[in-house]
Amino acid sequence: MLLTLVFLVSFAALVFEVLLTRIFSIAQWHHLTFMVISIALFGFAASGTCLGILESRLGGWVKKLTRPAGLGMLASGYTFSTVIVFLILSRLPLDYFRLPVEPIQAFYLAAVYLLPAIPFFIAGLTISLAYAHRPEWSGRIYFVNMAGSALGAFFPLLFLPFLREEQLSVLAAFAPLVILFVGGDKEAKKNMSKRIEEVQTLENHRSQHQALSKRHRYILISMGILVVATTLSPWASSFFRIRPTSYKDLGRIRQFPDTRIVDTVYGIRGRIDTVESPYLRYAPGLSLKWTEPVSASLALFKDGDGRLVLYEPTLEKARRWAPYTLSWAGYVLADHPRRILLMIHDGGTAVACAAAADPSDLTIVVDHPVMAEIMSAHYRRPVAAASSAEFLARSQKKYDLIQVENWGSSLAGTAALTQDHAFTIEQLGRYQDHLTSDGVLVFTRRLKLPPADMIRLWAAAFLSLKRQGITVPSNHLAILRNWDTFTLIVSVRPLKSVDTLKEFTRNRNFDPVFLPQLKPEDANRFNRFDQPYHYLEIERLARAFRASDPKAFLGAYLLDTTPQSDRRPFPNSYLKWTRLREIFETTGSRFYSLFLSGEIIVAVVLIEAILISIFLLSLPVMFGMHTGHLRVTRSGYFLSVGAGFILSEMYFIKAYTYIFGDPLISFTVVLTGLLVFSGIGGFFSQHLSNNRLTPCLAGLIGLLSALFLFHDSITGKLLHLPLVARYAIAGLLLLPTGFLMGLAFPIGMRDLLDSPSQRAKAWAVNGCASVVSAVASAQIALTAGIPVLILIGAFTYAIALICFIKIKHSLIHG
Amino acid sequence: MRKRIIFDYIRQQDAKPLKRAGLLLFILIFPMAEVIAQSRIDTPEFRARRKDMVQAQIVARGVKDPRILDAMTAVPRHAFVPNHLHRSAYSDRPLPIGESQTISQPYIVALMTNILNLSGDDRVLEVGTGSGYQAAVLARVARDVHTVEIKEKLCRRAAKALADLEFDNIQTRCGDGYFGWPEAAPFDAIMITAAVDHIPPPLIKQLKEGGRLALPLGNPFVFQNLVLVTKVNQDIKVENITGVLFVPMTGQALKRR
Repeated sequence: MLLTLVFLVSFAALVFEVLLTRIFSIAQWHHLTFMVISIALFGFAASGTCLGILESRLGGWVKKLTRPAGLGMLASGYTFSTVIVFLILSRLPLDYFRLPVEPIQAFYLAAVYLLPAIPFFIAGLTISLAYAHRPEWSGRIYFVNMAGSALGAFFPLLFLPFLREEQLSVLAAFAPLVILFVGGDKEAKKNMSKRIEEVQTLENHRSQHQALSKRHRYILISMGILVVATTLSPWASSFFRIRPTSYKDLGRIRQFPDTRIVDTVYGIRGRIDTVESPYLRYAPGLSLKWTEPVSASLALFKDGDGRLVLYEPTLEKARRWAPYTLSWAGYVLADHPRRILLMIHDGGTAVACAAAADPSDLTIVVDHPVMAEIMSAHYRRPVAAASSAEFLARSQKKYDLIQVENWGSSLAGTAALTQDHAFTIEQLGRYQDHLTSDGVLVFTRRLKLPPADMIRLWAAAFLSLKRQGITVPSNHLAILRNWDTFTLIVSVRPLKSVDTLKEFTRNRNFDPVFLPQLKPEDANRFNRFDQPYHYLEIERLARAFRASDPKAFLGAYLLDTTPQSDRRPFPNSYLKWTRLREIFETTGSRFYSLFLSGEIIVAVVLIEAILISIFLLSLPVMFGMHTGHLRVTRSGYFLSVGAGFILSEMYFIKAYTYIFGDPLISFTVVLTGLLVFSGIGGFFSQHLSNNRLTPCLAGLIGLLSALFLFHDSITGKLLHLPLVARYAIAGLLLLPTGFLMGLAFPIGMRDLLDSPSQRAKAWAVNGCASVVSAVASAQIALTAGIPVLILIGAFTYAIALICFIKIKHSLIHG
Repeated sequence: MRKRIIFDYIRQQDAKPLKRAGLLLFILIFPMAEVIAQSRIDTPEFRARRKDMVQAQIVARGVKDPRILDAMTAVPRHAFVPNHLHRSAYSDRPLPIGESQTISQPYIVALMTNILNLSGDDRVLEVGTGSGYQAAVLARVARDVHTVEIKEKLCRRAAKALADLEFDNIQTRCGDGYFGWPEAAPFDAIMITAAVDHIPPPLIKQLKEGGRLALPLGNPFVFQNLVLVTKVNQDIKVENITGVLFVPMTGQALKRR
């Protein structure tokens, strides 16, 4: 019964965690979910501390709670707390922006922050109880915990296409209640025959439970059916429905008449809403010289943001206004491109441009499968679904023009943590490899002040051209802008039609930013700032690159504009901590704009995580709890094992995001794979002597170090393989790592600790290490790159190994 | 107290139903009319605070055009804010006026008027009447002002306030300002007083040659740049003036980027 509940609670808690991430991504901004989830997960750690205190101060709590009535109470507590917390979260009118003017918002924020911790606390309590009650079963408990979690990680992937996030969350919350229909465990029954007193107690409880169940099981089953039916009903759909914040594109659009959502597709890769409006008009980068209507029939939104617009299916009208967009400059330079490749993330004007160019061969690639499908049906032409890296790795075709359309989040800063390989130096090289000898590459992005994206992209293009063997890369680059967008053009040949490009810019009232022989007065003519900031900074950058000293410029610049690589692919992260004050002042001295930044959120959460960990771990000392005190080496062991596991897991998630082209697919593959394999490791550990742990840990350290050393070649080779082979090899790589990682924790729980309260505390230590390292891993990847995560993972396991050897030594020598 | 006496009187007199209704109507309307009348009264205290506002908030920040300063000194800002906010009417910040809208900070009103560089003989279109205060200021430095507001309640309230203050060179219209006022076009100057994330093409069309369009441009929910658009020889120039924070423009504006 105990193991069944551990399995069910692990399953339900992981489903809730995954779906909570999805729900917050839709209702708020993805990076803010980071904050909420981390606090929620502290519920796990807090449960260990709480149980440790209860057990050492009052005694007998582990026994009380592991009786059938106690387990039933835990299961019911988990279910009802999850449903109530979910209901409150879905109805709270939280609005971060109103925080300075509406004090009640602070209360809402605190509620959103703390409430999700309750179900996780109960789930953690159940698992830590199992370890404390049955240390000899540590391997089995670990196995069922991991197996339940693995199923929980996979469950949303299977069912999200059929049910909404909110419905799945509520349904999964009922899983632990199954325990009410399961009898006592066999082990307990065996013990009953041996120990008469215990038999009597257990029999009493069992008979009470049976008496209760006979009367109430039918009621419970009926209630369960009623709840499931209600959750699936249309009434519940509107009652539980998660709505995007009005600050997102979708929230804004929906405020107006004649605008309605005509279709919604749910999936692990995001919720896609199709919006219809007779007046929907969207053409970023359009010249102000075009004063006629721009018609669009549909707009697609991913998680309420990132608008992708579909114009009329024939694109007849679009062909007329497309030559007035900034991106058209690339088409002017390419001079009637015949073979065009569009790599679309959002926007949609690229399709209008390509249609206006009337190519003989048009390839459209959209990085979201549902969006690709809708676009394909709308325009009645094939649209491939793949990430840009994925598509190019498997294509040998050459194009006259490649246009990359990726506008990003509608609020600057919110995408700082987003991993995107579309703008890395390596990817720019891959685009160029797919261009003909006269080919042109076109990027159009939002214009920012102070310039950030433009500098980073220019620098990446320069370096990629250099790697292609071009001696004067700046002769191959051009940048134009209007009042809110800019276009970067990379030409395989040195720019030849500069006058034509200048003429186009002049006619459309655009401004050149970087062109050969450009005068400063021509760079700030139609879209004027008090100084031609963009021109000046790009000129300084170009001079620095020509003098082979870009580091001096990049180091002195206000923002982090270092070109991104596949090892550090965070194109929207610009924060320099050393210049925080200046950045704050430059962006209007508004605190809320700081909280829009993903980097700031990560830092705040990291500080919070460390403070809460210190609090939770010192709480037993404050309560004067000395029995069950963990020594430094034991704490160090569980701390390192927890941190090592999460750092390795985060490495795989980020590395596989590149391979599978989507962070959520990668998250599901890694979580499911690692949890299953480490669960098997845990099961295997049940019969493994702790003497064997030393070579296993040494092997794990070696394996993780090898992954660090061969990161580039492994990910590079995997990307070229067909999807099935990629999944298979990615899974195989997880097998030894997961298996070896699964040995350390259960063996430690079984052999290195003496009392239930020590085990509860070890659980708390492990939980705190997991949360802190999960938050820290985001910061490490942002600043040092993805492979460094696995190196630090190997290092923490090395610390665990040293601690283990010391503990063994102390055990042997008294 | 007065209400209570009248109610008691009605009860004691056992007045006929019609009489009673008339009296009740009087009781309800009289205090409201009194409050409304009071809100329009420009007391020496308000005048003094207005002078302080102009010196401390507007002149100190660099707006020096005497016509604009005169207009800001003359227009009773408190007449455009809800009664309970009269005391804050001259403070250095925007104020809520209902319907999730605000009356802009006095400096922003002066700055936007200033950047339009009005000659005194201009025809101006304002998109987003709001409280009507900006239109009142414009009316004192321009020949005539056309102003459009999409929110019906605000539109009617502003029209009433402007009529009460006897501005006879302001025409108000309830509707979507995204399409401007084609019948009255072309204009020497256009001002959008709500945040938009693009420049509405119909408004550019309705600008005269040499005309100016001032608007807060950027994400309607975060922050914007105050921008001046000019039409010169059929070319459109966009000039960034300063960073601002406005409430969003509703209606058609949000349907296009």
